[in-house]
Amino acid sequence: MVLSPLGMAAPSMKERQACWGARDEYWKCLDENTEDASQCKKLRSSFESSCPQQWIKYFDKRRDYLKFKEKFEAGEFQPPKTAAKS
Amino acid sequence: MLLLAQAPKAWHRLFQLKPPALPRTPGGEAQHVRYRLLSRQGPAEMGRQDQPQGPGLRTRLLITALIGAGLGGVWLAMRAEKEQRQQRRRTEALRQAAVGQGDFSLLDHRGQARCKADFRGKWVLMYFGFTHCPDICPEELEKLVQVVRQLEAEPALPPVQPIFITVDPERDDVAAMARYVQDFHPRLLGLTGSAEQVAQVSRSYRVYYSAGPKDEDQDYIVDHSIAIYLLSPDGLFTDYYGRARSAEQVADSVRRHMAAFRSVLH
Repeated sequence: MVLSPLGMAAPSMKERQACWGARDEYWKCLDENTEDASQCKKLRSSFESSCPQQWIKYFDKRRDYLKFKEKFEAGEFQPPKTAAKS
Repeated sequence: MLLLAQAPKAWHRLFQLKPPALPRTPGGEAQHVRYRLLSRQGPAEMGRQDQPQGPGLRTRLLITALIGAGLGGVWLAMRAEKEQRQQRRRTEALRQAAVGQGDFSLLDHRGQARCKADFRGKWVLMYFGFTHCPDICPEELEKLVQVVRQLEAEPALPPVQPIFITVDPERDDVAAMARYVQDFHPRLLGLTGSAEQVAQVSRSYRVYYSAGPKDEDQDYIVDHSIAIYLLSPDGLFTDYYGRARSAEQVADSVRRHMAAFRSVLH
């Protein structure tokens, strides 16, 4: 999909839906492959070509947040043990 | 008011009605009182020995009861008046807020100037966002127009005006707003304006927004508070709904507000 130059025009409803669809496919692939992005390269590139760059950054962060939230709510979250010398 | 000021005097007078003999004849008077209370007989039947000591117990009880009832009535009347006064003051404050608070001067997506008074007499559901919003704004706007469709389907209910106000005046001009709102609802009104006008309307509805850093495409994301606002036909802020509320919950709340609504404007 060719997005408008300079990102000046906002995606239309159709473009938004295409972007969300590609995102959901990619996220599903990550779910099925225990977050191994190397298994989802094709879907990643489809996701990247369907959404504005800014949105990709946003959705990547959002996925991290949603994953963290899931873990946290399930009580599985362990604060990372840093090997720092204190 | 006047009656209450006189009340202490009235009590004083009442006490003066009591026989001054009481302290002088301890026991005697008290016994009579007890006897009379037990026998339920008036002073007439009691013989003449009480006469110089003033009015009988019945009279005194009667006077006390009358004054008590009078004071009670005064208290009730004063309370009612105070409530009325408070109600009047509240209505006046609301009326002033209805006209002044949250007023705005913006352009709609057809380029027509709009201010808050244009929506007087209509219920308004209002959402702040931006057209380049990745997911939250379209979801919330979809929810907002779902509420409007649900309420529209009930002909007994007054009409609701859906409004979308941008917090990204730099990119969301009239044309961008026109392109954006058409995807949601034929009556959804997009409002935009200068940076100052948008800042002013956002401030008056306590909406926070902050544009993030621009990337190489000059694209950016605007962080902003997320809430759907309900304004009454008087233009007063009436309720707000966060992300967690479903369209059904919002519609139920709006119906309740509509049922309870009484205008403060004439």
